[in-house]
Amino acid sequence: MAEMQKIKLMSSDSAEITVHRDVAERSVLIKNMMEDIGEQAMTEAIPIPNVNEAVLNKVIEWCVHHKGDPPATNDDDADSRKKTTDIEEWDQKFMQVDQEMLFEIILAANYLDIKALLDVGCKTVANMIKGKSPEEIRKTFNIQNDFTPEEEDQIRRENEWAEDR
Amino acid sequence: MVRSRPDMLEISTSTSASSSSSSPERAAYDDDTDFFTTQRNDSESSIGVASLRDMTMSPSREREYRLSPISRLPPELLIGVFTKLSSSMDLRSCMLVSKTWSRNSVDLLWHRPLCNTWQNLESVIKSIRETGGYYPYHALVKRLNLSNLNDRVNNGTVKPFMHCNRIERLTLTGCVQLTDKGVCSLIYGSRSLLALDITGLDSITDHTLRAVSENCGRLQGLNITDCSKVTDDSLVEVAEHCHFLKRLKLNNCSLVTDESIIAVAHHCPYMLEIDLHNCRQVSNVSITALISRGRQLRELRVGHCHLLTDAAFLDLPKNLTFESLRILDLTACHHLHDEAVERIIETSPRLRNLVLAKCKEITDRSVMAITKLGKNLHYIHLGHCAQITDTAVVQLVKMCNRIRYIDLACCHRLTDTSVKQLATLPKLRRIGLVKCQSITDRSILALAKATVEPRQKPLTQSLLERVHLSYCINLTLQGIHALLNQCPKLTHLSLTGVQAFYLREDLISFCREAPPEFTEHQRHVFCVFSGEGVNRLRNYLNESPETLYDTEGTMYDDREGEDMDTDHQVAGLMHATGLNDDDDDDMDEVDGGDGSQYELEGER
Repeated sequence: MAEMQKIKLMSSDSAEITVHRDVAERSVLIKNMMEDIGEQAMTEAIPIPNVNEAVLNKVIEWCVHHKGDPPATNDDDADSRKKTTDIEEWDQKFMQVDQEMLFEIILAANYLDIKALLDVGCKTVANMIKGKSPEEIRKTFNIQNDFTPEEEDQIRRENEWAEDR
Repeated sequence: MVRSRPDMLEISTSTSASSSSSSPERAAYDDDTDFFTTQRNDSESSIGVASLRDMTMSPSREREYRLSPISRLPPELLIGVFTKLSSSMDLRSCMLVSKTWSRNSVDLLWHRPLCNTWQNLESVIKSIRETGGYYPYHALVKRLNLSNLNDRVNNGTVKPFMHCNRIERLTLTGCVQLTDKGVCSLIYGSRSLLALDITGLDSITDHTLRAVSENCGRLQGLNITDCSKVTDDSLVEVAEHCHFLKRLKLNNCSLVTDESIIAVAHHCPYMLEIDLHNCRQVSNVSITALISRGRQLRELRVGHCHLLTDAAFLDLPKNLTFESLRILDLTACHHLHDEAVERIIETSPRLRNLVLAKCKEITDRSVMAITKLGKNLHYIHLGHCAQITDTAVVQLVKMCNRIRYIDLACCHRLTDTSVKQLATLPKLRRIGLVKCQSITDRSILALAKATVEPRQKPLTQSLLERVHLSYCINLTLQGIHALLNQCPKLTHLSLTGVQAFYLREDLISFCREAPPEFTEHQRHVFCVFSGEGVNRLRNYLNESPETLYDTEGTMYDDREGEDMDTDHQVAGLMHATGLNDDDDDDMDEVDGGDGSQYELEGER
């Protein structure tokens, strides 16, 4: 049976990770690859050259937990519009990692084309931004302010209306 | 909303980070949904490298990545994050963080500048006019909605927006001071316009509509409700030039005739929804053409189009069915008979909402035809179809058990037999029985599913939210008490003209205020409980059973607020329902039967 099949993935740092095929196929990239290369995928490890072992393990952990999730529907979209940064509890805990790992997960989700994980990642970062001043945001993410005071003042002035909410 | 991932090569405006993936579309962060939600972001973007990990990074870039991990995100992912921010305030903060952040958030912020107050509008206008602005803001505006300031907006107000040529959605609802001059200044050059709403702008003439036809070839939605000066001359041109029209509302455009509507039917093959409410010159040929040519037509509203007769439907081509049609509103099309209804059901087997209110000629034969819709039918309005009897209603319920909303106001032949059957509908949320004067407490007890002991939980919980029982004069307290206890989701209960209620001072105290325009008599009999009032009535009845059926009882219950939580849930649910199910409030009872007694309904 298809869901009992196991396949191997090869991380960027040459670690081999064995996963159930249906877990790995949460990734559209891997799913498409499997379709392209067929039987070969059962014997040889699929290279994932952009994701290292630690991140790949983390992504697989997410895929295992969410493997039973129904595919996204239009209804979900309508919902997400209302409360864009609601994250379910398990995902919130899952995302409690250092920033290095957080952004690696987002990049991996994007590369592997796992939309729901990318979504959770973006929401997590959005929640870190919400309600903060520009200076607090810079501190949170360690970002250099490359505006001159004049430029900053101009942008502030030209976008005054947005202070409303 | 279809989530496509358009594969496109984008022009890079930046040499910063890069990545392979396509630009994430921007989730709409407002509630005016409908059309065109996908939009590309045209700020800085990819240069088509497989992934940033493929690149050999310069030592300085490496250092930056280590110090600030977020700098690893390519622009499209940063935009993906910003898309999740729903407040302008947060987006503005992002704009001030750094140049990269600024470039990637400015589009989102200016996509729909917030013009909810006059002060904001002035600030927006100032930046749009600014020639030396940090960004070319005028080119970023995609949606403009001035309806919040409608009473203050005039031609001068909108003039600065004339250079915003990339507007896709323009909402000017109720800006009644605007004339052709003002609206046209916004229309000229707006090649991207997808939706225009000028509801209530009654000085608008063909001039504006002609400008629309000449400039807005991509238009998909047009709402000119109450623009009563608009004529066929310009509407025919709109139909001829705006082939992509999907939604058209011409309510109360009294000069519109078949000429326009037939042009629409012929030139606009993608039409999804059309509303011709009260377009009194529109006749059969229009309706036949719209249905037979609009193979995608989903919603057709022709209420109060008095010229319609059976021929509108009998003339539909034989052997064709219209699988897309879901909503058909024929309110007060007086000349329709059973033959027409039978034909409608035959040709439109997937109808979900059917409104035949005040189609006075129809009989049980029509209802029998409607039963063929089976589980597709969710919403049925047969108010004032006074010839209908229990036999038909019983059959309707048996065949169409997914009905959620039903109105049978003034169907005076109906008895408890009908209501007992209606009570078996598992998904029923709203029932209108105004002036069904034969019904008794037996009906209400059935609705309450109170065959079990009072206060004991029924097997399946009632979903009833809105119950309209005004002028059901035989009802008493017992029935309603049971109903209240078995229907936790109830948010609206109308009992105007029911003696057992309007004569009870203690109960009336939980009822809402009568509308100001009511006469003394109307005030006297008015009795509508809504929102918290329903909960207070329920609590009161439960807490003072000893005085319950004592007409002298005048105990007051001041323990309001105790059910706040449930009430919030219910309110939320109602809101959601309002979004999904088209205008429940339209179905609210307005008894135009004799014109003297009526109820105004609505939330709160």
